[in-house]
Amino acid sequence: MKLLRGGKQKFQFAIKSEEKELLFHVLQLYPLVPAAHHRLSRDRQIPDSKENQELLEESLLAQRQENRRQVGALLKEPERFSETQAGWRVSFSRAEIEWLLQVLNDVRIGSWLALGSPAGQVKIQPGMSKPTARHVLVMDVAAFFEMCLLQAVSGTPPVRHD
Amino acid sequence: MPATATTEALPDIATENRTGTRADLDPGYLVICWDDPVNLMDYVTHVFQTVFGWNRQKAERHMLEVHKLGKSVLARESLEKAEFYVHQLQKYTLHATLERDVK
Repeated sequence: MKLLRGGKQKFQFAIKSEEKELLFHVLQLYPLVPAAHHRLSRDRQIPDSKENQELLEESLLAQRQENRRQVGALLKEPERFSETQAGWRVSFSRAEIEWLLQVLNDVRIGSWLALGSPAGQVKIQPGMSKPTARHVLVMDVAAFFEMCLLQAVSGTPPVRHD
Repeated sequence: MPATATTEALPDIATENRTGTRADLDPGYLVICWDDPVNLMDYVTHVFQTVFGWNRQKAERHMLEVHKLGKSVLARESLEKAEFYVHQLQKYTLHATLERDVK
């Protein structure tokens, strides 16, 4: 996926057919991070700790529902992608890029959690079970699209955190 | 003294409706982002810029602090505001919590 044109609010990308298929596959996996994953506090020395934790979970749940709605709308909107000789063209607004980043990172973190939260970089290796290899692949695919979107909004090539 | 009746402007005294408790208003809560080996560095920088409105330089400084030191204190706020920031950071799946500032 390559940025063709970027303004302050609108970004146009060229995307190959295989990439589009992968993007749709990853988006369909959302959400992957378990609902109870996030904690408001580590030491829990905050007033009304239980109530505040519940509020956090409610807020995240509402956000997740909204993101899921946006993903569903994108997947059911074929006219957003216009076919070219080399593949497809698609435009995203700045706001759409924000929720796409949230969705892609959820899928990336969810896959990482499913792998047992490994400390180092994970790569597909011979003998790896199919589900494990699938999680690794999904992590890499999500990172690829995140980097494309980040590059578009920041104008600089992203660096991996590993 | 003027013979005609005058209207006297009185200060507009309104009762302050404080819904927050003292703990809500106490700026003694730290918003902390913890390191994890999975988030992209530029992603973390982007989220800091988006959530706090920081410039890239400041966001990168905190991102590197998270990466090198294991955590970074992003803000010191009231309970309510700290909760808001933690919610925002967690929407982006960053490992963020709020902690009582014991200093």
